[in-house]
Amino acid sequence: MSLWPRKSSRVRDPIEREIADHIERMVAANIARGMDPDEARRRALIDFGGREQVRQQVREVHLSALAESLRFHTRSALRFIVKAPGFSLAVILTLALGIGANTAVFSAIDAIVLRPLPFPHGNELVRIYQHDSKGRDANTFVAPQRLEDWNRMSTALSGVTGYYKDDLAELSGPLPERVTEALVAPRFLQVLGVAPMLGRNFAPEEERFGGPNAVLISYDYWQQKFHGDRDALNRKLQIGSWFYSVIGIMPRGFQYPDREVQIWAPSPPDAPYAQRRDETWFTVIGRMKPGVAVPQAAADIATVQSRLGKQFSKPDAELTTETVPLKSTIVGDSAHSLWLLYGSVSLLLLIACSNIAALLLARTAEREHEIAIRYSLGASRRTIVLQLLSEVVGLALLGAAAGLGVAAGAARAFHLLAGRLPRAEEVSLNWTIAGYSLTCALFTALLCGLFPALKGTRRGLVQGLASGSRTQASTRNPMQWTLVGAQVTLAVTLLVGAGLLLRSLDALGHVSPGFDPEHVITLQVSGSWGETANMAAVNSRINRTLDGLRTLPGVDGAATAAMLPGVSSKYQMELKVDGRLDPNRRVMADARTVSPGYIESLRIPLLAGQDCKEASPGTFDVLVNRSFANLYLGGSAAAGHILENAAPSNFPMKGIVRGIVGDAREQGLTETPSPTIYSCFSAPNPFPNYLVRVHGDPMQMADAIRRRIHELEPARSVYAIMPLEQHLSDAFTENRLRTMLLTLFAVTAISLACIGLYGTLSYMGRLRQREVGVRLALGAPRQRILTGFLFQGLRVAAVGCAAGLALGIVLSRFLRGMLYGVSNLDPVTYAGVVALLLLVAAMASLAPALRAAFLQPIKVLREE
Amino acid sequence: MTPMEKTDLLQGTLDLLILKVVAFGPVHGYGIAQRIRQISNDVLQVQQGSLYPALHRLEERGWLAADWGESDNGRQARFYKLSAKGRRQLAAEEKSWNRLSEAVQLILNTAQ
Repeated sequence: MSLWPRKSSRVRDPIEREIADHIERMVAANIARGMDPDEARRRALIDFGGREQVRQQVREVHLSALAESLRFHTRSALRFIVKAPGFSLAVILTLALGIGANTAVFSAIDAIVLRPLPFPHGNELVRIYQHDSKGRDANTFVAPQRLEDWNRMSTALSGVTGYYKDDLAELSGPLPERVTEALVAPRFLQVLGVAPMLGRNFAPEEERFGGPNAVLISYDYWQQKFHGDRDALNRKLQIGSWFYSVIGIMPRGFQYPDREVQIWAPSPPDAPYAQRRDETWFTVIGRMKPGVAVPQAAADIATVQSRLGKQFSKPDAELTTETVPLKSTIVGDSAHSLWLLYGSVSLLLLIACSNIAALLLARTAEREHEIAIRYSLGASRRTIVLQLLSEVVGLALLGAAAGLGVAAGAARAFHLLAGRLPRAEEVSLNWTIAGYSLTCALFTALLCGLFPALKGTRRGLVQGLASGSRTQASTRNPMQWTLVGAQVTLAVTLLVGAGLLLRSLDALGHVSPGFDPEHVITLQVSGSWGETANMAAVNSRINRTLDGLRTLPGVDGAATAAMLPGVSSKYQMELKVDGRLDPNRRVMADARTVSPGYIESLRIPLLAGQDCKEASPGTFDVLVNRSFANLYLGGSAAAGHILENAAPSNFPMKGIVRGIVGDAREQGLTETPSPTIYSCFSAPNPFPNYLVRVHGDPMQMADAIRRRIHELEPARSVYAIMPLEQHLSDAFTENRLRTMLLTLFAVTAISLACIGLYGTLSYMGRLRQREVGVRLALGAPRQRILTGFLFQGLRVAAVGCAAGLALGIVLSRFLRGMLYGVSNLDPVTYAGVVALLLLVAAMASLAPALRAAFLQPIKVLREE
Repeated sequence: MTPMEKTDLLQGTLDLLILKVVAFGPVHGYGIAQRIRQISNDVLQVQQGSLYPALHRLEERGWLAADWGESDNGRQARFYKLSAKGRRQLAAEEKSWNRLSEAVQLILNTAQ
């Protein structure tokens, strides 16, 4: 055997090596004949002839062999597909659904979770929070001076910037139009690494106080306001009483901080009103220097902050920082939902796979005769397995092509259904997705094709059968039943998940929020943070609007609130009660600012004391909820206590408790009410939420309300008019979408499992025709045949169901954070799943069992 | 006698000659060409331009197996040997060649 060692070091092209060897041997022969070495080599080269040509010819031999085998397999695969159109269509459709759904979910994961943010080196971007080190205030926004300090002193970040948003009215047209503005700290575009598509970035003098007014506008706003005209660059926007030159237009996909922002304007750090270190303005973002990791950047900013703490004992010494990747703050919890869906849809694909494997097993068993003949004609097992596999690959590729269509449809549906999810607009089909789908198809083909192909081509089994004219496959066939059982198991797992989510969504629908959202319309009126220089004016402006609304016919009440009730938001704050601060018993509350009339408009019951009145200089009226009164104020004698914020603030609050109100789910419908205080002040910010209670359908009042506000405030725009119930429902978009999709997958899964059960049982019935015929002819009661088949199907379903429940119990742990009002081990759900599954399994088994039991024995035996 | 050119060989004849030569034992391409020449007394000289495509074609069909090995002079060479399938093919082709040449001989004899 020493003559045939495997040589692994084939540095050169093996054909070239073989030719070179041949020439060397010719040279050696020539030398042996007495030529001198140079002459010998020259002659050999001449004698050998066109060396390159030989190489080319040899290569063509191999290429054409490859092409030939490819052609053969393609042709045989096509013949196979066309010959059994029903079977092929079933497989292609199953795969199209399986691969399509999988691809669709993967495209969402790819766009939202995996791909970096749509900025150059997006993974270098971080969000920086400031926290009150004693946890007395939940505000994380940063004063302009501190932002500038961070930028100057940080060594790990190449730049720090930030933004806050204003909702304004643009007045150059006939009617005021709402415009959403991001006021940005210096270096905003540099940190994001984006340049305007047209025009230029802010010049240094435009970022200084008193410099020229300049704005950048979004692509969409450019289209909407200027119809995409390049002349926009020399135009001006009138915002309030100021004129701003449009200096640049941002690229189409640029939507930071969010898709609502239409214009960006500088917020100069040297402005006199921007000097206080206890201001809380900016959402801060930074870019790490290349090669710096997030923990390093976090440590760096923390060090910088502690140095600032030494310099400014108040407030910097009491602040800590938190630095996290910007992407995680944008994607947030959606990643969890998406991975959950991806897991589910992959289980679905596995079910589809085992379904197809079972179909293929049955088919290869029917083809035993054909395979035996091919063996006897000298085909090798490898060739036959390859042929069987290529048939499956052909089917899988067709399935994947159809699946891409499914995924494209799903992507469109996703834009409609999930438009509010972060980065939803980035979900699209691209080459990555097509490649993924192709990989999926090949993987699927191997997974479901390899085993049947190997099993069907076992020589011992096949050759013995070649002589017989009748095929006689084993009727026990444990493999087929294992596959069906696996499908049932996976389907039950999915059903458990879907059942839990459905029950949770149902529980959410029955939550009593503690306020009445019906017949309440919400809206906002544009304003600017700049107005807060004169808070009294803002307050009287808002009260004037409220009074105007209250006198409108059909309106039962009107109020403002800083945050909408029932929409996830929380603002934890530590309080001093009656001037005392007990370090052992901290008084923490969710602080909400509402106008007088709020509890009446929302029908929150007043339990004790009286409704609040508008603030008088220096003090607020405060209402507390029942939880707060019971926990901190000793129950009903709450009125008269004095509450102050414990943390130093540029906006000190001193409030007198006037009354106790019922607990309401202010912080979100899924949150049990926590201790809450309501400070009565109509102008928590320049553009609070207005809540107007009306008779009848809220949206029918929308026009009247809009007109009334226009009469009162002709230079302001009214926006975001919608029923409060819409907000509450929108807050569950992700929850509903996730539940809907998982339910869809589970229904598909159980349908596939039933098809598998039905198909396998039918096949068994066909194989056992003769046996059943004989038994019937010998007088066996039909009923026994029927129950025999039925029992066979149900037994597999029951075993699969038990395994599925076990798997469901394990996997449902991942759902825990997404469930509301139902445990992940909810017995009702599990029992329901079992009942449903056994019911459909019985239905799927009944038809094949009946067919077997009502066989005509004469007919079968005659055919034999 | 002048050597015959490649074009003078009947289609398929070269394949038969290669299979026959390789049947004696593992041999490299140069060796095959040499043996064909020697055994035919220099009548048949196979051109490299036909030899190598033919060898690789026979390999693709599974009649020859090839692998790198060390030859007598210590050089690495690609050795060809006959597969089981090739052996059957050789037997079949020898048989049909013999029938063909007998038939041709018969006609030539009768015509004389």
